[in-house]
Amino acid sequence: MAATDQPIAQPYDFLNQQLATKQRGLWAQAWQRLLRNRLAVAAGFVLLVILAVSLAADFSRTVQRYDPTVPDFQATEQNPSRAHWLGTDTLGRDLWARLLQGTLFSLKIGLGTQVIVLLIGVTIGMAAALAGRYSDTVLMWLTDLAYAFPDLLAIILLRQVLLGRDWPIIGEGDPQIPGFNGVLLVTVIAISFVSWTTVARLVRGQMLSIKEQDYVAAARAMGASPWRIVRVHMLPNTLGAVIVSATFGIPLAIFAEATLGFIGLGVPPPNASLGSLIGSGLDAIQVHPVQLIWPTLMVATLMLCFTFLGDGLRDALDPRTRR
Amino acid sequence: MPRELPRRRFREETPMVAYTVRRVLAMIPLIVAIATITFILMHAVEGGPFDSDKPLPPATLENLKKRYGLDDPLPVQYFNYLKNLARFDFGISIANNRNITDIIRERMGVSIQLGIATFLFATVLGLGLGVFSSLNQNGIGDYAGVFIATVGAAMPSIVLAPIVTIVFAVKLGWFNVLSSDYGFTDWLRGDFSNWRQVVLPTIALGFLPMAFIARITRASMLEVLRQDYVRTARAKGLAEFAVVIRHAARNAMIPVLTVLGPIFAGLITGSLVIETLFAIPGLGREFVRSVLIRDYGLIMGVTVFYAVVIAFMNLVVDLLYGFADPRIRY
Repeated sequence: MAATDQPIAQPYDFLNQQLATKQRGLWAQAWQRLLRNRLAVAAGFVLLVILAVSLAADFSRTVQRYDPTVPDFQATEQNPSRAHWLGTDTLGRDLWARLLQGTLFSLKIGLGTQVIVLLIGVTIGMAAALAGRYSDTVLMWLTDLAYAFPDLLAIILLRQVLLGRDWPIIGEGDPQIPGFNGVLLVTVIAISFVSWTTVARLVRGQMLSIKEQDYVAAARAMGASPWRIVRVHMLPNTLGAVIVSATFGIPLAIFAEATLGFIGLGVPPPNASLGSLIGSGLDAIQVHPVQLIWPTLMVATLMLCFTFLGDGLRDALDPRTRR
Repeated sequence: MPRELPRRRFREETPMVAYTVRRVLAMIPLIVAIATITFILMHAVEGGPFDSDKPLPPATLENLKKRYGLDDPLPVQYFNYLKNLARFDFGISIANNRNITDIIRERMGVSIQLGIATFLFATVLGLGLGVFSSLNQNGIGDYAGVFIATVGAAMPSIVLAPIVTIVFAVKLGWFNVLSSDYGFTDWLRGDFSNWRQVVLPTIALGFLPMAFIARITRASMLEVLRQDYVRTARAKGLAEFAVVIRHAARNAMIPVLTVLGPIFAGLITGSLVIETLFAIPGLGREFVRSVLIRDYGLIMGVTVFYAVVIAFMNLVVDLLYGFADPRIRY
């Protein structure tokens, strides 16, 4: 048979070549899918604008227009006007400036919390999944505990403990990181100490299931070191779910902060957080309801946008739920 | 083997009881742990309950501390605290010199009333909306339902409460929620005359869980409606109502049950805001007040009480699975 010597032309060879040029990595594909989700893109855009404006207000007087903490008793409880875009509050402070200050505070809380949550959650979740039964039991017990402890009560208690005390290394006063003053940092720590369990459980579950996958077995068979398997194969595959969970965690943290600020456990008075703005707006609800509307709208917008973005990311990053 | 039979029947009937007992027993270390953490946190707080602008004379301070047992060494205080806890005795509130158990019992009713109203609002409307959406899949009704559910998911109590207050109380004046005299009437005795004050807090607190339940119900109904047994039910000529309610909705309920536990915990958190906001004299407002004035005993009491309630509700939800899905074994 002479025919076997001839290389047989595969019917779809030309297609294979075309497909090969279009092949993209996991992240590029996810990015493409995210861009196709118009709602998520819009939400991300709105969030970027809000973040940019409130950051700009923190640096430049032209954006902020007024000092958010200085009262002006000549201009109290004004309605929106050209001079005061969103009006003024009971003490004559400009609401635009205060809203931007509060928004930046909330965004810092939301993002800062997730940084700590990811650090703790991924570490502990990984440890539980990989280090064996003992650490696993401890983690699950801690998670149960955190589950049963009413979150907000725990946050309030932690915050009270962390505030206004002397620290062994930092010394007197509240802990400081540039851009994160005392109360802010304390609130971030308090919220993240309560919410890391979700991420830890997620990472543990993902890692446990990935550990049994064929590609991990293949890597092990090829002699990859355990650390390489974790770094190259397991961590990137958990990352998608972790990012989604972090995105959904941001609005929860913002909500927690708003609640704290509302019941009077937010930033100390001259400064504003969205929660404290809602609280003071409520006091003036009969005479000047405008004051209450802006911070309420802002909290709703932030939460809605982060939820949409999270939905979009989940659809983009998790191919199994893709429609 | 005639002796096998009774033993087997015993085994088939008791797992649920055994499971319940096991869970209740497992609650004890959990609650002790929560009480311990709360105790440690409370005593780590800088500044005591007797701090005021004018420092008290040292002798008075000594007497006050003695009165509330705060002069004992910490381990002694801790064991006294646990010992009293076992008898449901949370001690005396420092702020108003009353038994904390009494305060909790007194305030609980208002919170439970609001909680039940909210829970009913969220589950009934959420299930209804979810089922309605799923039956009109991709129709106008569905889009409206999905829209409500999506927007509602971003409407926590702290956002919704001001909005409904401005619209319905300030502008329209339908509900009187701004006066500080919240009338508590006993619903169990059929006296619903305070409903005007309950409606707005219920909507504000219940909208987010309602949206959440609607989303899950819709998704799980869509899945169930495609199942073979639904087609069978239709094929044998059952009325559409019976198909939807008896065959589809009952099975679609199971995923909804899984979120009831977290929703319940969320209601407790939300009640702190709502009760403060609407000046409702419930347990949530009492807790906020006790934190602001550092009333140690009351803070610990309410925290432990809430933890017990949440643990108990989680148990109830887990037991409900068994009723909703007979395949689940304990």
